[in-house]
Amino acid sequence: MKRNPVTLATGALVVLIFAAMLFAFQVRQTEVVIVTTLGRYARSIEAPGLYFRWPWPIQNVHRFDNRIRNLEKKYEQTTTADGRIIVIDVFLGWRVKEPRKFLELFGDNLAAAERNLEIQLRTAKNNTVGSHPLADFISVDPQSLRFDQIEAEMLREIRAATANFGVEIVLLGIKQIGLPESITTKVFDRMKAERERLVKQFQGEGERESIRIRSEADLQRERILAEAEGKARQILGEAEARAAAQLKTFEQNPELAVFLLKLDALEQSLKERATLVLDPRTPPFDLLQNAVTAPGRSN
Amino acid sequence: MEQNVSGKGLVNWVLLLVLTVAAGALARYAQSATGLAATVFIGMGFLVALVAYVQMRLVERERLERLEFDELRKSATSASLFTTPDAEQFPARRAREQFERYFVPAFALLLLAGQGLGAYFLWRHLGADRPSTVEQATVAMTLYGMLALVYFQVGKYSAVLARLQQQPFLRPQAAYLLLGSLLCVVTAGVEAAGWAGYPQADVIAARVLVIILALVAVENLVTLVLEIYRPRVKEQVVHPLYESRLIGVLSQPGGLIATAAQALDYQFGFKVSQTWFYRFLERAFVWLVLGQLAILLLSTCFVFIEPGEQALLLRWGRPVAGREVLDPGPHLKWPWPVDRVERYPTERVQHFTVGIVEGDEFAAQRVLLWTKPHAKEEFNLIVASGDARAAGAAAPEGEQAVPVNLLTVNMPVQYQIADLRAYAFGHADAGKLLQFLAQREVTRYLVNVDFDEIMGRGRRAASEELRQRIQAQADAHRLGVRVLFVGLHGIHPPIKVAGDFERVLGALQEKEATNHLARAYAAERVPLAQAEAVRKVNEAEAYRARLTSLAAGTAARFTNQVLAYQASPEVYRLRTYLDTVSRSIAPARKYVIVPSNTHEVVTLNLEDRLRRDLLDVTLPASPAPASR
Repeated sequence: MKRNPVTLATGALVVLIFAAMLFAFQVRQTEVVIVTTLGRYARSIEAPGLYFRWPWPIQNVHRFDNRIRNLEKKYEQTTTADGRIIVIDVFLGWRVKEPRKFLELFGDNLAAAERNLEIQLRTAKNNTVGSHPLADFISVDPQSLRFDQIEAEMLREIRAATANFGVEIVLLGIKQIGLPESITTKVFDRMKAERERLVKQFQGEGERESIRIRSEADLQRERILAEAEGKARQILGEAEARAAAQLKTFEQNPELAVFLLKLDALEQSLKERATLVLDPRTPPFDLLQNAVTAPGRSN
Repeated sequence: MEQNVSGKGLVNWVLLLVLTVAAGALARYAQSATGLAATVFIGMGFLVALVAYVQMRLVERERLERLEFDELRKSATSASLFTTPDAEQFPARRAREQFERYFVPAFALLLLAGQGLGAYFLWRHLGADRPSTVEQATVAMTLYGMLALVYFQVGKYSAVLARLQQQPFLRPQAAYLLLGSLLCVVTAGVEAAGWAGYPQADVIAARVLVIILALVAVENLVTLVLEIYRPRVKEQVVHPLYESRLIGVLSQPGGLIATAAQALDYQFGFKVSQTWFYRFLERAFVWLVLGQLAILLLSTCFVFIEPGEQALLLRWGRPVAGREVLDPGPHLKWPWPVDRVERYPTERVQHFTVGIVEGDEFAAQRVLLWTKPHAKEEFNLIVASGDARAAGAAAPEGEQAVPVNLLTVNMPVQYQIADLRAYAFGHADAGKLLQFLAQREVTRYLVNVDFDEIMGRGRRAASEELRQRIQAQADAHRLGVRVLFVGLHGIHPPIKVAGDFERVLGALQEKEATNHLARAYAAERVPLAQAEAVRKVNEAEAYRARLTSLAAGTAARFTNQVLAYQASPEVYRLRTYLDTVSRSIAPARKYVIVPSNTHEVVTLNLEDRLRRDLLDVTLPASPAPASR
């Protein structure tokens, strides 16, 4: 019987803990809570802290995350206003705003809510994409790009559609835009052609530059040579002039000068590989004739 | 009452069978090694309970038989026939004796073998290091907890019954029921540990269980050996061979000493369990357990935040004013469940990748080429094309050639948690949202940028621009993160067109090469021309010099020649003439033809070589016809 107080205390503690678990509950910072009494709405709690309740069959506690949740489902094919096919992926951030309404619509089932939101999201997405041409999505020109407006339109539409869901759509963004496989192939073909054009362009440019450089070099060469030629001729002229200055000397005896020049020329012209057919009258070969004719004459 | 006990035995083994199946299924479901080991234990318990039940039935039948016999003896007056009770008159007792003599030791041996093998295989199985997952931890925890509760009550009831009614066969059943309950608690605890971030607890607990299984096997062996030497005391309550005292201890820690004492009593035949020591321990036990619980609770008053971490302090789920965020270091708090702490690695640089994620099988690939796949899935983003408008205008209606370019992108983004409160309280999954926003910004950026710009010079600027845009988005949605880095290095044309992009680069190189060749040509050509020019001028100058000197020399010589000439013009002329002629015609071939009045035809063979050299072996035989 000595153990009794201890056992009692332990028992009391256990009972206390159980009671606390049954009669109290915590609301965390990140939650909003709806308490229902026998299935009927009793109160909603937005501020975190410790609260009391009746145990389970009487009161029920439904907890909802009040933080922004992300939703992103389908990367879906759709058409633009000008009939182009694109694949687009849109995400949104939402949170439970009116937990009571949310509870009535979806119960504790977040997945059901997300399914509904997804349907609305797809509708809003396809409607909005269908009312814009492709150039609104993709453009080099910031003025003609309507990316942000498209997002805003989608957000407006889905907000209108989910107004009575008890949720708030906080943000929406286009995550990705792509093209279906068949069009991707075409785009690749076009990109290839574009690259081919660049290849040809660079080759042509290379050729052009090469020819320019070569012809410039040729031109420069001609110039240099012509200049040199001119200079050479000038020098030759000078040489003639200087040589001519000596002509006066030859005036002393022009006959001799002419004779000497002839001799000189003769010597020069006979220097190489000459064959002479001579008349015996040419001195000194006239000696030969004299030798033959002298006896004849004496005869 | 006895009928009731045997019925209890039936319920017990059925319950143990159910528990075996349930625990096994749960262990499979939760992928828990501890659960598996526990299942082996409980399965063994089921076998023991079954044998105990059979033995229980046999004992009961024997008792009924004895009662019947007593009745018969009382009523029968003629004692002559029944004075010596024969063994054949007690078939039930014979059956029971046979069972205890042969079947029970055999079963004990089988059990020993089973325990040994079980321990061996479980240990081997654990050696294979099965990865333990904690996905279904909560469900497993709840179900294990429920099982533990039910079986604890049933087991406790059986244990009390066994003690009160001195039922030796109910005792092992009760022990195994309680052990099953305890194992459920342990497994639930292990699941909880895994859930709290200590998955290694599973393997450790499983190893401990396997060791206990081996110990039980050893104990079983020792019991078998001791059974041979035990003094047989009359009227002693039998201890079934298959009952494990170790399991008794484990399942009823309160009766730890009692079990030990009972074992001593049983072995030596005198009462140890009445001593003061046993009583002291039994009383202190509850205090010990309570003390431990108190220490456990107190330990939740201290929290140590690791370096690089920050934690949120929540009291009853509400941030504590003034101490919302705990910095690294020791902190005091109210014990669980009043105050709770949620840790976040705020200093750690976290990262994710926008676009393709380089697959594991490509991680070993040391060279990344555009033309070779280095990710499982192509991930192409649309980029506006510079000539998009022109092409778009030219394309006929309904034509599906979209004037865009595609780019493969692999863009790492690094970030830190900057504002823990916004990060944790504002968003269910802030990291994921940041990823979405980052990808949105990349898409947004690329649809509005010129393709060639982004592939070339614009890359570094784009990287910083994107970082700022992502940061702006994160701030606008109060994500509480700081974007540290956005890398654009992994941006390149898709594999299918990468080859063509490389060809363009090749053409650029080729252009350079042509250019260089032309420059080389020019470099050679101009200096050569310059050299040529210099040569020409020099030649002219040389000519001029020669001409000038020659003229001067000739003039000077002429002055002297004139003097000589004047001395004797005729002789001088002839002398110089002959002198020159004889000298200059010496090497020439000469024909002297004598003119005559007859028309002769003189044939000269001018093909004859003029000069003698080694090859001119034949010369015109004689100049006779010429010199004629």
